[in-house]
Amino acid sequence: IPYSEPSLILSLGATPSPKQLVDIIEAALIMLARLAPRTRQTRYIHARSFARTFVTSHHRQISIERDTNGHIDLEKLLSKPTWSVASLLPPKDQEATVSEVSSKQLHHLLRLSALPPPKDAAEEAQMLSTLTSQLHFVKEIQRVDTSGVEPLRSLRDETVQGESEAELGMDALKGALDMEETRGTHYRRIKRKRGVRLPEEGEQWDPLGTASKKTGRFFVVEGGKND
Amino acid sequence: MTAPSNPTLRLQYRQLYQNSLRYSLLGTCLTHRPALWNQVRKSHTAITADPVPLRKQLKDEARRKKAEKKASPKSSKTLDPRLSRWELTVGLEIHAELNTACKLFSPAATSLNAEPNSHVALFDAAFPGTQPQFQKATLIPALRAALAFGCEVQRKSSWDRKHYFYQDQPNGYQITQYYEPFARGGTLTLTQLDGIETSDCPEVTVGIKQIQLEQDTAKTILQPPSTYLLDFNRVGTPLIEIITLPQIHSPTTASACVRKIQSLLRAVDACVVGMEMGGLRCDVNVSVRERGTTAEGLSEYAGVKGLGTRTEIKNLSSFKAVENAILAERDRQIAVLESGGEIEGETRGWTIGQTETVRLRGKEGEVDYRYMPDPDLGPLIIGQDLVDHLKDTLPMLPDETAERVVNEYGISAKDARTLISLDDGDRLEYTEAVVETVMQRLASLPEKQSFDKVGKVVADWVLHELGGLLTTAGVPWETQTVTPERLADIIVHLQTNQITGNTAKKLLAHYASLQPVAEAAIPSVSKIIDTSGLRLVPLTEGEYIEMAQKVMAENPDMVKAVREKGQKGKIMWFVGQMMRRGEEGRVEAEKARSYVERLLEV
Repeated sequence: IPYSEPSLILSLGATPSPKQLVDIIEAALIMLARLAPRTRQTRYIHARSFARTFVTSHHRQISIERDTNGHIDLEKLLSKPTWSVASLLPPKDQEATVSEVSSKQLHHLLRLSALPPPKDAAEEAQMLSTLTSQLHFVKEIQRVDTSGVEPLRSLRDETVQGESEAELGMDALKGALDMEETRGTHYRRIKRKRGVRLPEEGEQWDPLGTASKKTGRFFVVEGGKND
Repeated sequence: MTAPSNPTLRLQYRQLYQNSLRYSLLGTCLTHRPALWNQVRKSHTAITADPVPLRKQLKDEARRKKAEKKASPKSSKTLDPRLSRWELTVGLEIHAELNTACKLFSPAATSLNAEPNSHVALFDAAFPGTQPQFQKATLIPALRAALAFGCEVQRKSSWDRKHYFYQDQPNGYQITQYYEPFARGGTLTLTQLDGIETSDCPEVTVGIKQIQLEQDTAKTILQPPSTYLLDFNRVGTPLIEIITLPQIHSPTTASACVRKIQSLLRAVDACVVGMEMGGLRCDVNVSVRERGTTAEGLSEYAGVKGLGTRTEIKNLSSFKAVENAILAERDRQIAVLESGGEIEGETRGWTIGQTETVRLRGKEGEVDYRYMPDPDLGPLIIGQDLVDHLKDTLPMLPDETAERVVNEYGISAKDARTLISLDDGDRLEYTEAVVETVMQRLASLPEKQSFDKVGKVVADWVLHELGGLLTTAGVPWETQTVTPERLADIIVHLQTNQITGNTAKKLLAHYASLQPVAEAAIPSVSKIIDTSGLRLVPLTEGEYIEMAQKVMAENPDMVKAVREKGQKGKIMWFVGQMMRRGEEGRVEAEKARSYVERLLEV
């Protein structure tokens, strides 16, 4: 669906809301894309059927200063950040009285991740407090309303054209389908042809070359219980 | 025992002998008259009682035993009484190695018994910085497997990481399809011919929950006490995991299910390495529940309600092991529940020769695989045109082939299945070629033979005669030298009564033992028959009549029985005697009967 020309007028009297910011950026990109020379690789960036909204709990209204001519001092405007990640962390003055993570859970997590256990009580206490603040951070992030939003799994080309290029159909599998033969005339069976593959370049290295422990052509691992 | 010259004494000796026989142990065994082989052989003895042939003796014994068995019905397998109270539920998770040239996420070649660590790509060895590259050729056998079970192929499926640390997993995680598998919802139907439990007959339908693609792990060889030798050739080989619904209710049916799945996968060329070679592995989930209980309070799995707590038995490596392990686990669970205990959801193991499963791991919660979507890989998008093409060109499944063979050739269902399963279907192909050739040759003859009859004869020859010869000689099917044309030749000569059955077997043995040489150098069947004089010459009318008269002259009582008492059944006895006396194969039963009837004026 081609994106229609946005008819918004940027009223600089107020801070653009996040939604408006998103619209502005998308509009700018579309205009740039149209200005760019048409090549075969040009893609239309299609708008999503839904918009990502980021609602934070700290939404401060800032008044933008203008001089007598109505111009904005950009340097001054951008010198002070209006948002900091510290807002997602527990305040420094708040004492972490009760850790959300128990010592038993900590040891379980460390074992799952194959990380070494804490050497002494002080290190354990520090690990626990770090985990607590990290959990606070995650909880703040989880307050964002993501209903109806598909989670992002990896950075991929998610346009329709990108998807059709990634699709594996008959033309993509043609080479592999040629590697089969039909066997038998009365009782037809399909068999993959053996021995037609050339050795790959990737197999021309010695996997055992970097092994510190080996026996013959095998890697050696000591499996005794020592954790 | 030499006879005395005095006739009176001879008679006394004879009587003494027969008396001693009657009261000896041997004599008491023979409830009727003394058997033929027990008689004192003398050319002039007039035997007091009619000798009973040994054949008849054995037949009478067998008939008596059968009647006894029928009189007191006793089931051969006593059913476990606890099973009337407890019902078993089994779900299967089968991991099968796909038949591909290269691995799932690297271009290294798959192999079965290659030299250790010779087909390892950098990604397989988990070198830092390496990325997975999906090999699209692995889709073909995977899709064929999904279509063989009638599954719905999902257009979009994704890859997830399953994290755990073990020496056979170099990356520290396995790439699998946990959240979105590529195929869902199929079925598998088993019948009595597949070997299910009699209580499940006539058929049982097992639902397939999903099929997903995943990576295989390395091969480990344990050197006691705790040293492992690793071979990474197998790392990254594509596997499909087939998860069935818990709709199986007996160990025999579970084992039959695994066997059927293996044969189905082999038929569509998806997985060709069998369970005995390690190409197919099975994990089972076993639970029991009381019959007649409602579904409340019990667990549920994929829509199947009313299940007890399940335990998982891992790494079963043969069909028999599947059956025995489920049996042992069922008995253990019933014992625990009947004594008032509770089943813990744990993972157990089984080794062949044990009587009970052993606990490997505790509750499921102790192991956390921390599933997460793999960020290195994009979604797997399968085109509908590919699925449609593979569906149209899918080979016929074993059940359909068996049905076709039974209908076309009149071969029994059991023989049909044997033919399909032997030698990857080559045996059936051979049989069909032979039948076609035989029918072509016979079509030119005046007497018409039915397709059914020919099919049965050919199947019998291929399975039992030729198969028997090859097994005895230890020759595998691929290297056997009897061409379909040659076997067809032999069978045509046999069917047209030019040679006897025995001669045909000898000819087959001769051809099977030949060294593989040029076709022209091997003499044809007719040539051999002519040179060795093996051709069957049927008896003339005169010869029949002469033989019939001879038999009748020697047995006047039988003749009297037929002529005067009208016992028509004894006519066949005359035919039998003629067939015994005549040369093998030369006396035809039908013709002999007609001549005997004519002579007896019946």
